[in-house]
Amino acid sequence: MNAWLEVPRGWLDSLGEIARFGGRVMGIVYSGRVLRFFGESLRQAGILILGSALIIWGLVFVLGLQCGIEGAYLLRAQGAPAYAGLFSAWCDLREILPYAFGYMLAAKVGTGIVAELGAMRISDEIDALEVMGVPPVTFLCATRLLAAWIAFPFMYLVGIGVMYLASYIAVVEQIGDVSSGGYLLIFWQFQNPPDLIFSLIKGMVMATVIVMVGCYYGYTASGGPVGVGTATAKSMVFNIVMVHIVGMLGTLIFWGANPRAPIGG
Amino acid sequence: MPIEDDQRREEEELQDEAAVSGEETPEIAVAPARASGNGDPYVAEDGAVMGRDFVIPGVDPAEHDPYKFHTGRKRDHGGTDAIEIVDLVKQFGRARILNGLNLGLPEDQVSMVLGPSGTGKSVLIKHIVGLLYPDSGDVLVHGESIPNMTDDELFEVRKKFGLLFQDGALFGSMNIYDNVAFPLRQHTDKGEEEIGEIVNRRLKEVGLSEATYKMPNELSGGMRKRAGFARALVLEPAIVMFDEPDSGLDPVRTALLCELIREVHAENGGCYLVISHDLGTARRIADFIAVLWSGKIVESGPKEEVFDSSNPFVSQFLHADVSGPLSMD
Repeated sequence: MNAWLEVPRGWLDSLGEIARFGGRVMGIVYSGRVLRFFGESLRQAGILILGSALIIWGLVFVLGLQCGIEGAYLLRAQGAPAYAGLFSAWCDLREILPYAFGYMLAAKVGTGIVAELGAMRISDEIDALEVMGVPPVTFLCATRLLAAWIAFPFMYLVGIGVMYLASYIAVVEQIGDVSSGGYLLIFWQFQNPPDLIFSLIKGMVMATVIVMVGCYYGYTASGGPVGVGTATAKSMVFNIVMVHIVGMLGTLIFWGANPRAPIGG
Repeated sequence: MPIEDDQRREEEELQDEAAVSGEETPEIAVAPARASGNGDPYVAEDGAVMGRDFVIPGVDPAEHDPYKFHTGRKRDHGGTDAIEIVDLVKQFGRARILNGLNLGLPEDQVSMVLGPSGTGKSVLIKHIVGLLYPDSGDVLVHGESIPNMTDDELFEVRKKFGLLFQDGALFGSMNIYDNVAFPLRQHTDKGEEEIGEIVNRRLKEVGLSEATYKMPNELSGGMRKRAGFARALVLEPAIVMFDEPDSGLDPVRTALLCELIREVHAENGGCYLVISHDLGTARRIADFIAVLWSGKIVESGPKEEVFDSSNPFVSQFLHADVSGPLSMD
């Protein structure tokens, strides 16, 4: 029985450690101590935008096409092709974009942070920082979190635009069951500004979790290159699980009680 | 709390390193029961009993008196101590690496801690710079207790230190110039022009003028060490430490690096501490030598006196004799 309990206990231990580490890093950002290294934060934000933006936007463009195509054919089968905009609006904004964003950040940014910090850890670079009187958690982790908060809202909002455009192309230009005006009328009726804010919150919570998990596993990596590889794999698994938990909770909290669907008057 | 986190991580890492390098905790033989008391090598100050509560790598708990060669004698070096280690104890799991170590490192001299592999020399350096915290005992740097400092005090006092890690520990994402300039940019208000002058002077001193804009992965091991040396010196620290500066270098480059350390020390002064087990390095650069074994200092003092010591262990180690108390076990 005890052996069965060890796995979930280990997960809970890790969750607690990550939460504590994340709280410490967020405390450094909120207290403004990270601003001592604001230049490093801007550098990291630049790396995030240059290294990840096009990939994320490319991915959400493809997914926007898929949402449009699926919605158009599904609603054609129900005899309501004019309502393809409904499917696109919800699919794009509420669910697929946050998940796509989360997956891509987990795969590219999260693992990148683990690998970079882990390599620094095993080659004594983090100890060197500490000996030079530079607080490593602030310099390496808090700056990355601030960089994420600077860069990701911009990347996310542009991603929404890219996805909307892709769905429009698929429904109106490719399949063509509905006119441009008809599509946009329904598309905008089924979303409003709070939906945009809620979606952004979902995406940013995922991004924060992913950066924190990456920093934790990278900063605490040990056991040489193999240990860094193991930490990278663990962070990926943990992040994917967390992306789904945040996605589910976000949907429940923001749209669970009130889906804000203008149907039936 | 953050310090505890880092300390625990450091400890796990060191245990991992020990496991990877095969320096595993030796087979435990429980020592015969003996009465506790002062001076009993089997019973530590905290009442822990060797064999039952801890083991010391390289020491058989069944041995009658594992510290029979440890006179702890400290010969006069004629100056004041910049660093004092007092009854330092550090244990990882059951392996007690440092077992009541006492040592004073003199100001304005090049000191060297020598000892067989796996005896805790690097652990000692990590205590001095506050990367590890002792289980008991104290580390005093210019009279200030390192383990009792807050995080902010510790980061402040670390500006006194320069540390050359075994492989240089250069930042892989920066070129050599930026690596050396990093401490100046973080801790001083100097402009880029002044920083450039200092960095170029330091790089010239270590013979890396031609490699200024190369990345660390483009350099040989010796060049990385020299670049790390330049970075360690750039803030003109009062205390400079070298963790096995000769490891992985051929004899000529080792000699050149030793020469460089002597030259820089002659120019800047300060307390220099070199950790090594290389006797050639000890003969070339040390003013003061301490021999570490089984978690304690066997003897320490000025180089000539320690090299001439009649202590069987010190004599065997410093003359690389095959016969004596130190064996392959």
